[in-house]
Amino acid sequence: MVDKIIGISKKVIQLIFVTFLLSIIVFYMARLAPGDPLVSYFGEGVERMGTAQKLEAIEKLGLNRPIYEQYFSWLSNAFHGKFGISYKYKQDVLSVIKDVYINTIILGGLSFVLTFLFALLLGIFCAENEDKLIDKAICKIGTITTCVPAFWVSLLLILIFSINLGLLPSSGAYAIGQSKSIASRIKHLILPLTVLILNHLWYYAYMIRNKMVEEMRQDYVLLCKVKGLDKKRIIYKHCLRNIMPSYITIMALSVPHILGGTYVVEKVFSYPGLGTLCFESAKYHDYNMLMVLCLITGILVVIANMAAQAINERIDPRMKHDRGEKDWNNNTAPGTLK
Amino acid sequence: MEQQYSSRDFEIVGENFITENIEVKKEKSFKETFKEIPYISVLVLLVIVLGCAFPEIITKQEPAHMDLANINTAPNSMFIFGTDSLGRDIFIMIWYGGRVSLIIGVMATAISTTIAVIYGSISGIASEFIDDVMMRFTEIVLSIPSILIIIFIQAMIGKPNPISISIVIGITGWMNISKIVRSEVRQIRNNNYIWAARCAGGNFLYILRRHLFPNFISSIMFMVVTNVGTAIGIESTLSFLGIGLPIEIISWGSMLSLSEKALLSNYWWIIIIPGIFLVTTLVCITNIGNYIRKKNNQEFSNL
Repeated sequence: MVDKIIGISKKVIQLIFVTFLLSIIVFYMARLAPGDPLVSYFGEGVERMGTAQKLEAIEKLGLNRPIYEQYFSWLSNAFHGKFGISYKYKQDVLSVIKDVYINTIILGGLSFVLTFLFALLLGIFCAENEDKLIDKAICKIGTITTCVPAFWVSLLLILIFSINLGLLPSSGAYAIGQSKSIASRIKHLILPLTVLILNHLWYYAYMIRNKMVEEMRQDYVLLCKVKGLDKKRIIYKHCLRNIMPSYITIMALSVPHILGGTYVVEKVFSYPGLGTLCFESAKYHDYNMLMVLCLITGILVVIANMAAQAINERIDPRMKHDRGEKDWNNNTAPGTLK
Repeated sequence: MEQQYSSRDFEIVGENFITENIEVKKEKSFKETFKEIPYISVLVLLVIVLGCAFPEIITKQEPAHMDLANINTAPNSMFIFGTDSLGRDIFIMIWYGGRVSLIIGVMATAISTTIAVIYGSISGIASEFIDDVMMRFTEIVLSIPSILIIIFIQAMIGKPNPISISIVIGITGWMNISKIVRSEVRQIRNNNYIWAARCAGGNFLYILRRHLFPNFISSIMFMVVTNVGTAIGIESTLSFLGIGLPIEIISWGSMLSLSEKALLSNYWWIIIIPGIFLVTTLVCITNIGNYIRKKNNQEFSNL
């Protein structure tokens, strides 16, 4: 019990530390950026301001103080939930994000779950048929799909399915005025989801295929075979369980990868979400918004990593207390004679 | 009565006794080695690279020439690949645009590899604590989606041109290579020849160049090659999304940035033709990268 509390508090401290570092990096980058920071507060109005007015504004916003002082005042504001005003949307940053973050969670979450589900199935299927024609064919096609940029796949799919066939909508998250309609949402999700899955699927399926192929060469598989278990049972009951920890680690590490993909695809499909916000705010130099988006993304990724570690410790007790890493890499099933 | 035993009557047993014949791997003949080279990819890539390096030979026309009489013409005998919405001939733009795209890919990779090698070797040579700090830093940077960092830096730099884009892609893509460099350096740093070089007065850069670099070059080579492809892909994505190269600077990405308008009017050639060139190049580069990786870790399979 005490161990558990210590473990959790360690993780929390780690999370706080990483967030803190991230915020410093992001803040410095935003402040050192060329271009007038006043623009991000007042917009085009700056050009019409006189020198005295400008100086007054700088004084009021504290822009003449050293950066680290500015950082701490920004930090204390952030603790009160004030991240500044988005110059592009003329609103509080958080309220802009609040309107759209759920769309990103739906798209990103669904693509994450589906990608890994299909990757697992495809990877196992390929490993079962190792070096057969179908495996080789899937490997070749898969390599090509990972090379194709996501935006081009989106363009192709839009061209085929929404322009020429007219089956699916090409942009938005729902038809106008139907934000509650689930059918409309699903219809708008199909194309972005397909792009995301196609783009990431093989990368992970190939990892699983290789892990599985490696696992099937282990001695315990031979023992299972001798015992008379059939192939399906050995794969799903024994091998799968053994590759699960590394699979979950891969899942956690893939969060930034898939999130980045989601952002790009969102922009291509003009899907209202964090990604579209990101590109819009980058285009209009809306640093307040960009900073918060970077922070949110970073924190999300760190949390995903921690969750993966916690789940791994539960599945595989060997991973606990950091000494598990060695056991895992040794690749020896317990009881193997050496 | 005494029984006579010959050695055949006995069987040697024991858990470590090897009963299988160990095959000694024969050296591959030239023909076998040649067969493994992905020569189709190499050939195709060669054609594309040569075409992009010397577009003047293929066509005398200027790529930026706008033929306003022929806007959005479908591929025909005069314009093999059609023209775009500004009346520019896509066939000519492909080669000139490819030049910019390939240059950005190579330059970005050169920048990222240089950073990665220096960062990784410092981290590998440094003491435990500094090494830890440096590696934590890479992990934090890796935890933000790279596209986010790129648009952040790009927003800061302002007006994009090919050089600024390759710098941005370069300084955001070094983390993975530096991790490999670091672990390789950790393994070889205590070897006697490194000590000898240090005792003889060789400084860090000398040791890096003469001793460390030849050792880890083969293990990062495939990532370097794949990075060229990744950089080209990122450039086209950025240009397509409107934060990369503007339309006046022709690259495969900026050609595709016209496609949003083309989509609505169903001008498929503006979208598909530059895309096919882009994808073909990326597939070829990946294939070559995979071949290099396979050549480097040729281990015996258990089966």
